[in-house]
Formats: sequence, C-alpha cells, structure tokens
Amino acid sequence: MHHDDTEHDSEIRGMLAELPRTAPLDADETDRMVARLRDDGFFRARGRASRWAIQAAAAAAIFTVGAFAGSRYARRNSLEEMLSRQHLTVADRVLLLQRAGSAYVRAAQSYADATAHVDSSAVEVASRVLLGAAHAVARSGLDAGLSARLTTAMQPAVAPETASRKPVIWF
Amino acid sequence: MTPPLLPFELPDGALIRRFLDGDERAFRMLYERHTPRLKMTLERLLGARRQDVDDLVQDTWLAGCRGLHGYRGDAKFSTWLTSIGVRATLNHLTRGGGRETEVLDELAAPPSSSPPSMIDLERALAALPTQQRIVVVLHDIEGFTHEEIGEQLGVAEGTSKATLSRARHTLRLALNEGVSNAS
Repeated sequence: MHHDDTEHDSEIRGMLAELPRTAPLDADETDRMVARLRDDGFFRARGRASRWAIQAAAAAAIFTVGAFAGSRYARRNSLEEMLSRQHLTVADRVLLLQRAGSAYVRAAQSYADATAHVDSSAVEVASRVLLGAAHAVARSGLDAGLSARLTTAMQPAVAPETASRKPVIWF
Repeated sequence: MTPPLLPFELPDGALIRRFLDGDERAFRMLYERHTPRLKMTLERLLGARRQDVDDLVQDTWLAGCRGLHGYRGDAKFSTWLTSIGVRATLNHLTRGGGRETEVLDELAAPPSSSPPSMIDLERALAALPTQQRIVVVLHDIEGFTHEEIGEQLGVAEGTSKATLSRARHTLRLALNEGVSNAS
C-alpha cells in the first residue's frame, strides 16, 4: 500500500511538475498596476526633482530680490542720495551733517596723505571750505554765535584780493 | 570594456533600487518579469475563485511595494512576493467563502477514457479543499518546503506534510474517478 502510494505520489508529482508555470499578462495590466501605484504615491521622484528645482528657483529669486533691495537701501542711504533729497527728518539732517563732516575730514586726510609736499592750493581750498562751513553754521545760528566769532577771527587771515572771491561751497 | 547593462538585464535588486528612487520603467520590468508566474500561482491557489486573480495580483504587488523598503534580499524576490501573495489569497478566501464552485465548469473537460489531461488536473486541483490546494500548489508546483508552508499557513511542519499526503490522495481519486466515469 505504501509502495503504491509512493508510486502514485510520484505520478501525481510528475503531472503537477508538467503544469504550466506562468499565465499571460493582459495588454494593459502593467499600466493598470502603475496607475494604482501612482495613486498610492509612488513614482514621485520626478515630482521630487521638480520640487527641488522650484525650491532652488525660489531661493534664487529671494536672493535676487534681497540683493536688489539691499543695494537700493544702501543707495538710498548714501551721502549723495541723502543730499539730493528734499524731505528729510531732523534726525536725518543731523545724521547727514555728521556723515558729511566725517566724509570731509576723511577726504582731507586722504588728500594730505597723497601729497608729499605742502600744496598751497590745498591749503587755500581747505581754509575756504572751513570758512564756508563756518559761515553756513553762523547763518543758521546752530551754535549760539560761536561760528560767527570764529569767522570774524578767521577773516584777517584771508587775503583782501581773495576775500572777494566766491566762497567754496564745501558740500 | 563591458557595455553597461541594459535595463532588462538588470537583476531584481538593481530594479528594486531604481523603483524605490521613483523609476517607473524599472517597476514595469520588475512587474513583467515576476507577474506571469505570480499570477498563475495565485490563480491555482484561488481554485474556483480564480476570476479574482487580477485584483489579487494587484493587491499583492501593492502590499509588496509598500513593504519593499523592508525587503533585505535574504530570500529571492519572487519567493518573497509569492509569500505576500499567499497571505493575500488566504485573507481573500477567508473573507469571501461560499462561491467555491461557481467557475469550476470553466475548467471542465469532456470526459474521456484517455489518461487524465492537464485540464483534468487543474480542475481536480481547483476542487481540492482550500488548505490541501494551497499545500499541494506551494509544495509540488512552487517548490516551497514544509517549513515555509507551515510558516505561511501558521501550522506545524508535520501538519503540512499530512495535508500534502491527503491532497495527493484526493487528487488521485478525483483523476481516477474522472477516467472511470468516462469509461
């Protein structure tokens, strides 16, 4: 009996071994599976790449806008830009005065550093600029008469023939 | 210099990596490489409910793809995928029930006195009780071991062996009956 069973088993196994192992795919079977996976959130690599591209573009745009805004802000607060503006607050005007004075001193220092010998025209320009500035301060009455006294004190130092010249406007 | 491998020559592991990176073409190759066999296996496991095979194949692939990050390559991809398919089939058969004989006639062959044909065998397989059918398909056709079948079905190895023995006996009776009925 056992022998018969084994024989029959091997016969059955032989028949089973001959059965086909594969079934054909339907024409659109792969497409349907891909669509189902796509619905489930697969195949997003391209989406991820485009997301990266969008993020990079956004970063570039933000950088450009920032750079533009920064340069505009810097230009707006430049000495030349402030001088050209008519409507400044009192604080802005004080700041402008400080910055212009500092710029003048730096320019004078730079000029002095650049010349190895005493330049008479530089001396004249410097003294006239100082005088012009003192006149402006005196006219505006910003310093309670100090600059008026200074201009009076400096007046004899100016040669009579040059005194009639137009003052150098330092700004 | 060896030319680069064409995509269809790529091994499963490489296709899986590409697929996980979002390469649709790699998935299509993987699908078309493994689905014909998976489909036939699941069709046999389903028995009389083999009309559900397309849905089940899709469910199997979907579950496989979702769990693909966890696939370590310890087993062959086809074996791993088939295991998922077996579990899906068991769930499917457990949920459904009651329609086992609906499509058996589709498999029927005209009785003849000649030795049993493959169609007779397929029909006899489809008519087996679910557990016997699964064991005989996995062991005698797909080459699973009793240990693997036991894990799949949640039964002991010995139970798988005994079920296989009963399944072969039932098949033999069914085939003999078909021949004797015809003669």
